[in-house]
Amino acid sequence: MKPSSLIGVASLLFLFATCAAQAHAFLERAEPRVGNKVAAPPREVTLWFTQKLEPAFSSVTVTNAAGERIDTGKARVSGNQMSVSLRPGGTGTYRVNWHVLSVDTHTTDGNFTFQVGQ
Amino acid sequence: MIWFGAEIDGPMVVARAVHFAATATTAGALMFRAVVAEPALRLESKTGVVVDRQIRDLAWVGLAIALVAGAGWLLLQTSAMSGQTCGEAVVSGALITVLNETQFGLVTEIRFALALALAICLAYDRLLLPRWLALGAALCLVAAIAWTGHAASTPHKLGYLHLTADALHLYAAAAWTGGLMSLLLLLKAARHDRAAAGTELDAVRRFSLLGMTSVATLVLTGIINAWILVGSFRGLIATDYGWILLLKIALFCAMVGFAAVNRFWLTPRLALPGNALRNLTHNTKAEIALALLVFAVVGVLGTLHPAAHLVK
Repeated sequence: MKPSSLIGVASLLFLFATCAAQAHAFLERAEPRVGNKVAAPPREVTLWFTQKLEPAFSSVTVTNAAGERIDTGKARVSGNQMSVSLRPGGTGTYRVNWHVLSVDTHTTDGNFTFQVGQ
Repeated sequence: MIWFGAEIDGPMVVARAVHFAATATTAGALMFRAVVAEPALRLESKTGVVVDRQIRDLAWVGLAIALVAGAGWLLLQTSAMSGQTCGEAVVSGALITVLNETQFGLVTEIRFALALALAICLAYDRLLLPRWLALGAALCLVAAIAWTGHAASTPHKLGYLHLTADALHLYAAAAWTGGLMSLLLLLKAARHDRAAAGTELDAVRRFSLLGMTSVATLVLTGIINAWILVGSFRGLIATDYGWILLLKIALFCAMVGFAAVNRFWLTPRLALPGNALRNLTHNTKAEIALALLVFAVVGVLGTLHPAAHLVK
């Protein structure tokens, strides 16, 4: 195959390629949902990521409105999902901080909040 | 270190690039021996014996470099995962955690065992069974790289496609790079042996077939990988990952250019009087230099976040 035709074919295929983007170990969704309001204090927080995670180097902490840590410690990781159990933490704004290592050895972190009660 | 505007972890990139190039050289040399050198040269001939020994030596050198660079990669990766220095990571037990509890560590352990098996087979390389086992171990050593990279963490069914494409991409890259180095050795040995006249042409023709299969595989699997990791044309032109991938594609096209000249211009002229063999040797050296540059670029790409998750 000539280089010129190769470049042509490759560029055409890139142009036609649709956005099947698989983001890399970024937060896909969470329960309770990011920024949402729930009536009662949740018993656990679950996060779904765009990639499979390494349990040994992935963690999540949750603090309540008073800034006290209310997660019970070690997160449970299964595939691209990470959960942590919570102690009762009252009402107000809860903050979730996560730090994960994806299976392809990339580290990412982030945080979000959700509201509990009125 | 800043490279093309992207923040690069220099030592990690060097360790990865050297490890990939060395592993590909070893596996490619053994592939070349199985599908080009053995059928084209009679092993009992003088050239056959020389080329066989030189290809084995090339495989040994590649394996030794791959082991040293691989150890460096493991230490640097552990340091990056744990946030500690390399020394601290060994003392604190982070290295053990990485080896026992992460997929990267598990694959590294398996690949280390494969490298040892390959070394044993190369040591007993005069026997038929170890020769084939060496090829098998080298193929597994190359393909297993796919499980340490981006393809390993693509979730769901797409992950299987990504891993398959990546493993095939690695095979093809190894066959081409290691094959070019072995071809150079063969051409040099055949030039000094009158009895081997004509074998160059046979070897070059056989290598052409291996080369064209590799190029076709690289294009197809490269498109699949780019579709998963870049995802869009915008991802290609709006991210560091995209630009560095374009650089890789440009280097690849230059390699294909040299290969096309070799195949369609110089090979038919090998049997005629003239400089075809010398030009073929020069072009092969140029192709090898470009291949090593491609590995340097691959060393960078794997450490960057793919374009697909930066452009939505």
